[in-house]
Amino acid sequence: MVEDSVIISARNVDFYYGDFQALKNINIDILRDEVTAMIGPSGCGKSTFLKLLNRMNDFVPGARLSGEIFIGGESIYAPEADPVVIRRRVGMVFQRPNPFAKSIYDNICYGPRLVGVKKPKELDELTEKALRAAALWEEVKDKLGKSALELSGGQQQRVCIARALALEPDILLMDEPTSALDPIATAKVEEWIKDSGLSIVIVTHNMQQAARISDKTAYFFLGELIEFGPTKELFTRPKEVKTENYITGRFG
Amino acid sequence: MLEARKGHTRQNRRRRERAVLLFIRLTAVLALAVMASILLYLLINGLPAINLAFLTEFPRDSMQKGGVLPAILGTVVLALGALLTAIPLGFGAAVYLAEYARPGVLVSFIRLGVSNLAGVPSVVFGLFGLSLFVTTFGFGRSILSGSLTLGLLILPTVTASAEEALRQTPQSFREAALALGASRWQAIRQVVLPAALPGMLTGSILALGRAAGETAPIMFTAAAAYTLAPPDSIFREVMALSTHIYNLATNSTHIEETRPQQFGAALVLLVLVLGLSMFAIVIRAKLRRGRKW
Amino acid sequence: MKDAPEKTPPLDSPGIIRLQPKLSRAERGVKFFFLLCAVSALGSMFLIMIFLFMEAGGLFFSGDEGAGVGLKEFFLSLDWYPTYPDPSFGSLALVLGSLSVTLVSILLATPFGIGLAIYLSSVAGPRVREWLKPAVELLASIPSVILGFVGMVAVAPFMQNVLNLPTGLNVLNASLFLAIMATPTIASLGDDALSAVSQAVTDGSYALGATRWETISRVILPASLSGLSTAVILGLGRALGETIVVLMVAGGAAQAPHSLFDPVRPLTSTLAAEMGETAIGSRHYHALFALGAVLFVLTLAFNLLAFYLARRWREKS
Repeated sequence: MVEDSVIISARNVDFYYGDFQALKNINIDILRDEVTAMIGPSGCGKSTFLKLLNRMNDFVPGARLSGEIFIGGESIYAPEADPVVIRRRVGMVFQRPNPFAKSIYDNICYGPRLVGVKKPKELDELTEKALRAAALWEEVKDKLGKSALELSGGQQQRVCIARALALEPDILLMDEPTSALDPIATAKVEEWIKDSGLSIVIVTHNMQQAARISDKTAYFFLGELIEFGPTKELFTRPKEVKTENYITGRFG
Repeated sequence: MLEARKGHTRQNRRRRERAVLLFIRLTAVLALAVMASILLYLLINGLPAINLAFLTEFPRDSMQKGGVLPAILGTVVLALGALLTAIPLGFGAAVYLAEYARPGVLVSFIRLGVSNLAGVPSVVFGLFGLSLFVTTFGFGRSILSGSLTLGLLILPTVTASAEEALRQTPQSFREAALALGASRWQAIRQVVLPAALPGMLTGSILALGRAAGETAPIMFTAAAAYTLAPPDSIFREVMALSTHIYNLATNSTHIEETRPQQFGAALVLLVLVLGLSMFAIVIRAKLRRGRKW
Repeated sequence: MKDAPEKTPPLDSPGIIRLQPKLSRAERGVKFFFLLCAVSALGSMFLIMIFLFMEAGGLFFSGDEGAGVGLKEFFLSLDWYPTYPDPSFGSLALVLGSLSVTLVSILLATPFGIGLAIYLSSVAGPRVREWLKPAVELLASIPSVILGFVGMVAVAPFMQNVLNLPTGLNVLNASLFLAIMATPTIASLGDDALSAVSQAVTDGSYALGATRWETISRVILPASLSGLSTAVILGLGRALGETIVVLMVAGGAAQAPHSLFDPVRPLTSTLAAEMGETAIGSRHYHALFALGAVLFVLTLAFNLLAFYLARRWREKS
């Protein structure tokens, strides 16, 4: 494994919500430009782990952590690390589409404006680029001034993707991004993920989805990382019995 | 044995059911009837007194003739002054409670303070305003003293409605902004506040109506029985509709002769206050229906 | 394999960090500013308390106008003659006046307020509710001076003539209008409490063959009892603290009432009527603040009780 192709690595990560240990000794290396899926039954810790990657768990009262997480070689939980800067480098798309109650344009420009982009021309360019990258440009280019809340659910989710992409993040985190979408919209988002060529970490409860779109898959169970490897292998020749039970639907 | 009882008590139950529900419906009818009769009574007696001159002239001949313009102006100025006092504090408190506070002793005490301040009798606010603003601070009987007193009076209402509006903006807005690298305050200012502001302001309009209708808090802090001076400085005392009605109806030397003026002023105040409340209620309903999140 | 989640190691174990939102210095400044705003209400409460008790204290200590008034006289004497050459400052008649109108008004307002709350939450259809709820809110927003005015001009002469009384400005008339003020408060808070009872529980009762009233009385009312008591107590507090209505309608006689038709002089109306005519710093002035303090303590007690009940109610649901 080439050292600099690793973009995220976790070392001995334990995580607690108050008295409850949600993650146990997680060690993982996630590669650049790959789609990594995280699967497992609900409550297994996969979303918790995802939210550690952009420090969104900072807002959870009683959250505690030991171990280290590196993104691009930097320890993101080091005392001098600035969560705001980390979040600008690590984009996130949530379970439910959550565009702001603003125009499509203002939604996309939110991130660039935060980092101080002010020139209209520059903002226009960034908007078009982000919307194209999210495969939404053709659908909305004539109504950028309209409220993003008036779009369909699938379009809203792609606005959220574009909004995250406008900051040109190193990694995109996606927390069950299609669970609130209909099958057609889901297919569009999945297609986008496959073709994007970005480093994406996606949490999904849908095993077929993981199999369809990801290069690597990680299986979480009760806060532990049970198995991690190339998606094809994991789904066809799982090494662990627990993984096999889960993917064959034998448990729960 | 039970089988027989299932049908047995039916008659009885139905009769009692009907009687009780009748009483419950009556209470609703009665509430509406009381409100309607008060409105009608004031309309019938007040409308003849109201004309353009009544709304645009100063009182004359020991208030027996002329209009109530200075009282209308005074009421408006005092109510706006109250809002100007209460909005910065109330909105600020609401932002703290809804966005920053984590449950704990401090927050419990703050809530205790807000809810108890809401229960302090209005006349006690008057005493407090007299002692602190009028006397200790030396503001005298003035628009300033009255506005500050009324402002504290409506502070809990403004705070509570603003907090409610903030809490109704979805958590996902905050998450999304934070995940894009906004700081806490940036997320609040750029995303949460714009979404919540219409609701926060609607709550404030209800409070504005309340401030306009209050009497006791301004009796010793702001209200003059009669003044010709326009409210051109915050250190002036002013007339107000509520105290004007009270004074004419109880203290003046011509109680019977000024009756039409009293009814007229009462109707003006009622229309002003109910108008503000109705406006706020309609806007609030619109906001609720138009909301997409 | 370990099934149960492990207990956490103690907080100070080496290598464990507590995650917290990291606020920059400027951000902490912003947060502190908002905290100050939030404390302002609490601060006002304390200031009100301090000023009331400070000004009230002047009554009980010797000063330019002679020896201080004894606590016993203040609390137990029925004589309130503040402007006599040999003044007396007994608050009992005024306290009794306040309590009488409050009690009668709450007896009137409770059945109607709760009835209206039940109607709003469980009987009225959605369309009626959509109109009635704002109407109740509007009723609550009628300025008290207008209610007082109507009580004085319309109801008092009517009462005097029909019942052949010396005056129509009395306990009953004042209570009537206080009840009009308290009813919407009770109704809308009560509606909140009743509406909080979950639909599932209600459906369960209907499914067992209970009628509407049986469901309301045996399932919904018991489940929302503490919420309803909060509503009534807050209505009570509102009636006790209301000023202008009693000032205009209660009659103003500083005496212990013996019947519903006696005029009384509640604490609030005494304050409103006399504060404008007394010299700042005089004994009478201090006596009025002492009355204010009594009123404050009484309403505070009601509010604390309501706050406590409301919290228990929220914790349960």
